[in-house]
Amino acid sequence: MADIELKTAPADFRFPTTNQSRHCFTRYIEFHRCVAAKGEESRECEKFAKYYRSLCPGEWVDRWNEQRENGVFPGPL
Amino acid sequence: MRPQRALTLGSGDEGGGLHTTEAKWFMIESQRHSYHLVDPSPWPISGSLGALATTVGGVMYMHPFQGGATLLSLGLIFILYTMFVWWRDVLRESTLEGHHTKVVQLGPRYGSIPFIVSEVMFLFAFFRASSHSSLAPTVEIGGIWPPKGIGVLDPREIPFLNTPILLSSGAAVTWAHHAILAGKEKRAVYALVATVSLALVFTGFQGMEYYQAPSAISDSIYGSTFSLATGFHGFHVIIGTLFSIICGIRQYLGHLTKEHHVGFEAAAWYWHFVDVVRLFLFVSIYWWGGI
Repeated sequence: MADIELKTAPADFRFPTTNQSRHCFTRYIEFHRCVAAKGEESRECEKFAKYYRSLCPGEWVDRWNEQRENGVFPGPL
Repeated sequence: MRPQRALTLGSGDEGGGLHTTEAKWFMIESQRHSYHLVDPSPWPISGSLGALATTVGGVMYMHPFQGGATLLSLGLIFILYTMFVWWRDVLRESTLEGHHTKVVQLGPRYGSIPFIVSEVMFLFAFFRASSHSSLAPTVEIGGIWPPKGIGVLDPREIPFLNTPILLSSGAAVTWAHHAILAGKEKRAVYALVATVSLALVFTGFQGMEYYQAPSAISDSIYGSTFSLATGFHGFHVIIGTLFSIICGIRQYLGHLTKEHHVGFEAAAWYWHFVDVVRLFLFVSIYWWGGI
């Protein structure tokens, strides 16, 4: 068996609670702010992308992407 | 031997004519206690029927039944009518018939305090609702407060003017109280006129502000919490204004004396409560909530 590295988003002391929705949301926002600052394909933003993809439910990510496309995403991007 | 004057409530053909009121004085003398046992009255049952009509009509209105709105309005009108006639009877019994001795006065005086506390609890619920939504805004509205796209009122404009208007109105009611205690009857009337005028100006400005506000009650959770908290406060301002107008009228008619003005004191306490709530509203909802 090849060694597969299994990682998830690190524990963030800003979100100590069991409910990690805000953690997911914050990582999503951080990714998009990073992309806005550093450009589409930059590698620093890859880290945030992995975090939000492991934390957030797929449905939420799809809904937020749709909202962003329509210009109605409510968060502080 | 001339017979003793009978202690009856006859309407006046025996020996000189006793009016019912005068006869009641005799009744009080024979009462041997200083409490007030009220005469039978239809107002409690009429108030209950009004409340029944209001609640049933309200439910009918909110569900698809015919006639709900009519029943609801009839019920509300009936409740208002009951309040008017009941309190008119209280005024008749106290000011005109003299039943409100010192111990009887303690009832309404110290009873208005639990009433005001219950009103505080009611408004506290709306403050809590506002804090619940604004201190930790949910992910669905973007984790920020006020939510994106909601136009908030600048707290430095009309709210900042209206708060001192209400405060001055509270000062005016204290002025009126001191005038009553000093026996300066005309000055007390002027002070109450000042209280009511400031209150009406406040209400007018609030109405104008609601009319031209950038967001409405149905605009997200912000609109709901803002409108309910400020709206119910405004409703209490209107009730307090009405109470103060009645005190002004009574003072003008000479009902209030420097030792005995329980109704006025209750109105003043209520008015100060409304004022304090406005201060909390301004700081937490207008000022903090709009940043």
